[in-house]
Amino acid sequence: MNGHGHAHAHGFWRRYVFSTDHKVIARQFLWAGLLFLLLGGFLAMLIRWQWAYPETLNRLLNPQTYTKIFTLHGLVMIFFAVTPILIGAVGNFVIPLSIGARDMAFPFLNLLSFWTFAVSQLLVLASFLVTLGTAGSGWTTYPPLSTNVGAPGAGQTLIVAAIFITGIATLMGAINYITTVMRHRAPGMTWFRLPATVWGLWLTSILNLLFVPVLGAAAMLLLLDRMLGTQFFIAGAAAVKGGGDPLLYQHLFWIFGHPEVYILILPAWGVVTDLVAFFSRKPAFWYRGSIGAMIAVTVMSGVVYGHHMYASGLNPMLGKGFMLLTLIISVPAEVLFVNWLLTLWGGRARLTAPMLYTLGVMLVFAMGGLTGLLLATIGTDIYLHDTMFVVGHFHLTMAAASFLASFAALTFWFPKMFGRQMHEGLGRAHAVLTTILMILVFTGQLVAGYAGQPRRYFNPYEHEFLQHLRGLNKATSHTAFLLAGVQLLFIINFIRSLGWGQPAKPNPWQVGTLEWTCAPSPPPEHNFDTIPQVVRGPHQLSDPDVRRRLGRDYIGQAEPDPMLGSSMRVRAL
Amino acid sequence: MLGLPFLIAVAVVLVLRHSSRSRTLLALVAGATTLLAPALAVAQPAAAPAMGPPNSTLPPTVTGKGWWLPPDGSLDGWRTDQLITGTTWFVLVVFAVVVLWIVVAVLMGRRKSPAAPYPFHRPGVVVVAVCVVIIAAEDAALFVRSLTSLQKFSWGFAAADADPAAVRIQINAHQWVWEARYAGADGQFNTPDDIVVLNHLRVPAGARILFQLASTDVIHGFSLPNFRVKQDAVPGMINWLTFTTRHTGDYAIACQQHCGVGHYKMKGVLSVLPPDDYVAWVKRASALARRAYDPGDKPAHWGWSWERPRPGEARMGEGRRP
Repeated sequence: MNGHGHAHAHGFWRRYVFSTDHKVIARQFLWAGLLFLLLGGFLAMLIRWQWAYPETLNRLLNPQTYTKIFTLHGLVMIFFAVTPILIGAVGNFVIPLSIGARDMAFPFLNLLSFWTFAVSQLLVLASFLVTLGTAGSGWTTYPPLSTNVGAPGAGQTLIVAAIFITGIATLMGAINYITTVMRHRAPGMTWFRLPATVWGLWLTSILNLLFVPVLGAAAMLLLLDRMLGTQFFIAGAAAVKGGGDPLLYQHLFWIFGHPEVYILILPAWGVVTDLVAFFSRKPAFWYRGSIGAMIAVTVMSGVVYGHHMYASGLNPMLGKGFMLLTLIISVPAEVLFVNWLLTLWGGRARLTAPMLYTLGVMLVFAMGGLTGLLLATIGTDIYLHDTMFVVGHFHLTMAAASFLASFAALTFWFPKMFGRQMHEGLGRAHAVLTTILMILVFTGQLVAGYAGQPRRYFNPYEHEFLQHLRGLNKATSHTAFLLAGVQLLFIINFIRSLGWGQPAKPNPWQVGTLEWTCAPSPPPEHNFDTIPQVVRGPHQLSDPDVRRRLGRDYIGQAEPDPMLGSSMRVRAL
Repeated sequence: MLGLPFLIAVAVVLVLRHSSRSRTLLALVAGATTLLAPALAVAQPAAAPAMGPPNSTLPPTVTGKGWWLPPDGSLDGWRTDQLITGTTWFVLVVFAVVVLWIVVAVLMGRRKSPAAPYPFHRPGVVVVAVCVVIIAAEDAALFVRSLTSLQKFSWGFAAADADPAAVRIQINAHQWVWEARYAGADGQFNTPDDIVVLNHLRVPAGARILFQLASTDVIHGFSLPNFRVKQDAVPGMINWLTFTTRHTGDYAIACQQHCGVGHYKMKGVLSVLPPDDYVAWVKRASALARRAYDPGDKPAHWGWSWERPRPGEARMGEGRRP
């Protein structure tokens, strides 16, 4: 009915393409992200193929294209797949609905954010078509390799420009998210009644606002070096004249780059904090402690970046400081994790698809977070630095954990987004298999790292000390191919549910947050007919009074207190 | 790999037991994906044309054994190995506890009675506090042990530089070669008797080795996995690297920082020789170098006067190339 009414209000273009509705923009980010996820996944498979069968030499895989494949795999996954899905789609969809707002604070800025992002994606695609191909200097784009000294051609320039432009899109989104959460919460929705997902997205947006401009500065200086002949990052005597400093870029990049890994994990942490409570049918253990831990990590994330540069020639004095700070950040992260475990303990775990994804996030993040200890400590990092150990570590944290959390969020909010249920069985199978296979693949990389295999080698077996790793790498590659195959389950489930899924139940997960208790699925363009009056937190589950009065184990965040009825007066007497 | 299809079949059955209609579809998909791996193995192309042994003049290096750290050729490598082994055990134990906790909590949650609705309880606070103490203690141990190890090992530049018997080598890394310079008989760098070698470095056993690293094009990573050390060679600055050799043997030098298309082929060998053999080699090579010296060949004179560390400070970088 509502859809019909709005069809008269807006034409096709205003409704589906240049819409300012946060729910439409969320779906646009979702499609854009999923398409690039396929591209990034395909590139990952090429890399894994190369490490299993390095003798392959053809037009698709040779030393030249290989550098471009791993470079674009990293960039596409980080900036153009995880970011749009976890922050662009989930953030846009969930924030206004869970805080009781009619839309984002700046709907037109939201529209601009998506279309700016789309332009940056087009630049990435265009970079494949130019002479000499796309960028090949690694996703970190270290100069001088990424300047004309090491990477001539328009491809690298287009990629750096794409990073700059996607940064603008991220910045517009961040301003919008921060303002919306701060200014558009429904009456009664205090900070500590916000779902943890909203907290995670809000903290992520603050990090984006503070640190994406630093990346923008680095990208702009690099563009000047490439296009106008400046020498900010070019130095060296013989072959390369120049008075700049390559390490300046590394500082700028990692001032952004380390917060970036928290940018990708904070929304995931928020989703896990909520979903563990929802599906354990139990309030989140020490909710305020979890939020405090997330705030502590956010604050500290800007002062630990030096651990990426332990082998770069950083002064040991600075190294000591960064080592101390990096080790300390493990304490709040660990408090958050133990809170999840305690929420699970004594709960009544419902192993739905979103819950299985959530447990998957906990497992891969446990492995990923713990292996971080070996990289925070200089004494162990010097050996493991730039080996496959690092690759395994950051894939467990910001790839496996972020993607599993994205799947958890998509499965959880799919009925709200599209008005249809996803298939539970397919979702469960996908969650279990993806978790197991991800742990196997990335642990295989950790093991290769212990043996000393460097990252980004076209053919590791050129070196005698790595030749015995061929069997290990082959097994890891086959597991990775399997992991890719298992993603078919999600694709089938997604397409099948979009077209033929059961109509969404009003509150399929039986939780109390505003989007499930105060709005239909899918919600009308204005989200709520009346703005809800919030009276309690997001995880009030298994309350004995509610159970007795209402016969269910959850109560809506805006639902009047059942004890305020006649019995309350009786009790007061 | 053989266990995987089985694992997957079990998981699929466990997960899907409630839904009969899609079981066939899912079995097909799971079957197809498990078949993918062997199919890819079959699709392995016939051995590609050999690219030729790239550095055929280099001796073969010490090979790795098993899926653990490669053989240790350094006097202080055990410090790193001990720290890595200890921390790895910590990681494995904590991970096992987490898995166990999740499994037990989920199994216990199958009861029909409602969950306890408390957001906060004393036993939980104790668990959080204990975990904070454990992780803080691990952090403190790693910090302290790392610093003591580093001072004695890879950050001991001042001590190494004060050692008159230390072997000093300058590295000029470029795409895709390790070019090394020894001071030669006169002990001075950038003089006619300097020994310059490509990719094959020689050092004596049981001696402190001190490298100064620079690059003339892009950043390279000078890595000696058997000695547990690595350091970037960055254009425009001089970085330091030190360790002490122990056994004789030929050890790998690998590039650890992506430096372009030939990154994976940027391969060198560090030959640790008996001290007498080393002295004899220096004498011979230095004499040859003096004879072959060409004062007009400017690009060959890339060496710099040896940088000194500031007193009492382990210093890296900052020094500009002349």
